Amino acid sequence: METTLSPLIQSFILTGVPVETIILILMLPIIATLIAFLRQVVGIKAFGIYTPLIITFAFLATNGLRYGVALFLVILFVGMLMRFMLKPFRLLYLPRVAIMLTVVALFILFFLVLGGTVQRTGLASVSIFPIVIMITLVEKFVSVQIEKGDKTALILAFETLIISIAGFYIASWSFLQISLLAHPWLILFTIPVNIIIGKWTGLRVSEYIRFRNILKKI
Amino acid sequence: MFQFFKNGQKLLGMNARNLEFIRPYNLRRAKRLADDKLLSKRILKKNGVGVPRLLAKITTIEDLENFDWQTLPNSFALKPNRGFGGEGIIVVYGKKKNRTDAWIKADRSLITIEDLRSHVRNILDGSFSLSNTPDTAFFEERLQLLKLFKPYSYKGIPDIRIIVFNKVPIMAMLRLPTKESHGKANLQQGAVGAGIDMATGVTTTAIQGKNKFIEKIPGTEISVSGLRIPYWKDILTLAVKSQEISKLGFLGVDVAIDKDHGPVILELNARPGLSIQVANLAGLAERLKRVSGLKVKTIARGVRMGMDLFGGEIEEELEEISGRRVIGTIEKVRLTGKNGKTVEVEAKIDTGAGYTSISTELAKKLGYEKTVEAYEKITHTYAELQLLSKLERWDIYKDIPDIATTVIVHSSHGTTYRPTIRITMTMHGWIIPTKVTLIDRTHLKYPIIIGNKNLGRFLIDVTK
Repeated sequence: METTLSPLIQSFILTGVPVETIILILMLPIIATLIAFLRQVVGIKAFGIYTPLIITFAFLATNGLRYGVALFLVILFVGMLMRFMLKPFRLLYLPRVAIMLTVVALFILFFLVLGGTVQRTGLASVSIFPIVIMITLVEKFVSVQIEKGDKTALILAFETLIISIAGFYIASWSFLQISLLAHPWLILFTIPVNIIIGKWTGLRVSEYIRFRNILKKI
Repeated sequence: MFQFFKNGQKLLGMNARNLEFIRPYNLRRAKRLADDKLLSKRILKKNGVGVPRLLAKITTIEDLENFDWQTLPNSFALKPNRGFGGEGIIVVYGKKKNRTDAWIKADRSLITIEDLRSHVRNILDGSFSLSNTPDTAFFEERLQLLKLFKPYSYKGIPDIRIIVFNKVPIMAMLRLPTKESHGKANLQQGAVGAGIDMATGVTTTAIQGKNKFIEKIPGTEISVSGLRIPYWKDILTLAVKSQEISKLGFLGVDVAIDKDHGPVILELNARPGLSIQVANLAGLAERLKRVSGLKVKTIARGVRMGMDLFGGEIEEELEEISGRRVIGTIEKVRLTGKNGKTVEVEAKIDTGAGYTSISTELAKKLGYEKTVEAYEKITHTYAELQLLSKLERWDIYKDIPDIATTVIVHSSHGTTYRPTIRITMTMHGWIIPTKVTLIDRTHLKYPIIIGNKNLGRFLIDVTK
């Protein structure tokens, strides 16, 4: 792998920037483009562009995808549970989210300890960075829950999960990693690609599904 | 399958809505007006458009503390100023007997001042506003349900969504509250959306929620279609007028009909939803295309155009019986000339003409520059040509490139010989390959006049 590094990347590494960090940063525009494509052309909404992107990175930073997905599901579960439990209190938005965050934090702690006791050391040693990122998911989830209801929030969360998993596999695809290290300028291609996506005015795949009945009838 | 995807072009999707319509036609300032219900209410009222009367508003927590709840009438609606999708609206129908601190909601449950206060606090906090920004709460008069709508709607009041573009009402939908939608006229929550024939204001096809086609009002045996909405022309006029006032080029107008005051504007929407297409079984993209670029001078004209262009039911019936299409005296046609060159123009339909004729200018655009050039060199008058034999005449014309035939045309300018060329016309979806005559028509309004020879498959409605 060393032999195929581009001189630019080599000089970066010599100054002390870790290779993993370089790969992550080079992957960022690719994942972002993937998300833009999925939104505009396929019609997968998820929680905007930022949340799936950062969850992808959280997945990359946890030790293996399954712990990341497990954390994600714990957070969703607690989000649903707490909404149900906090309803009778009729709290204002921020205090409600604060309580939610507290409970999520406790649950995650419990989850990590549980992982430790059943000898899943990989889980217990997950660094704080991905955990904190995942917790930010709570606010996104709650605000959608309030605005659009439980069903929409769950659908969007599920879509976010799917995108993040896809992003995870793309970002950990070694062929892509090697190509990017050898030719980092490749990421510039995401700009014209995004310009095309940004001008795309056709129906989204999801709209073909949504409008299938009238597409047959008109 | 191919048709399925081809039909996609008739529909308006999110991408096209945002990029081709909202972005260029709804400027930020105009959008701000639509998103601020109090502001749009004030401006519409100032311009003489009917809106539900404002009773009171609460902007800050202090306002809320000092608010005198006893000033509220027996029935009212409490709304968030920047709410969307009908969220956060509470409607009360009367005061609870023997109590001064409680009202009755549509579902007969009680709501106390304490409940209302907590709800207002949530509104102020931004729980219902776009992106959770702090908001204002306001009270307005409750509209009275029209008797006609009573059997059709569950508890709430129905409203009519009209999409207006370029001063022409494009498509409309009647939204009926149901049990599933908890008395709210909101499709996402399960209300019924009925398509409306633009010419007559009569409901056609209908959906419940976002995608389920229905024929009867849920829980009843009443057919959704065939309901004639009263004040139809007034409603369309209101909608176009509010476009003029708000300067939103691509606008969704929500109109409700009050028992006493008639049609009033509920709110303006700068990002109208797309389900209206499903309710109407018709595509917005197709309709938008038909009116874009037209110069609509007055509101009345715009309303007229919307009614004529998009009210098709009766015409369709006629078309089915006769197997012919009903067209107006001016129609858009697509012409395909040499090497597939295509031009779209407005054509005059003239039953007094035999052949279809096109201007030399248009012929050039269709790739017949050489034909026109050669034709213009011929200076023989009709009087001269008349004396020649058929063959001799043909000798004069035969060297014109791409010429099909020559014909004698009798018109108001006298009789002339004209060369013809072959083109393909597409009008109302029908493809008509034909020979057309050439004429220098720079002085005329329409570059093409479609004559009898090509009108056999059409019926002409002179009022269109």
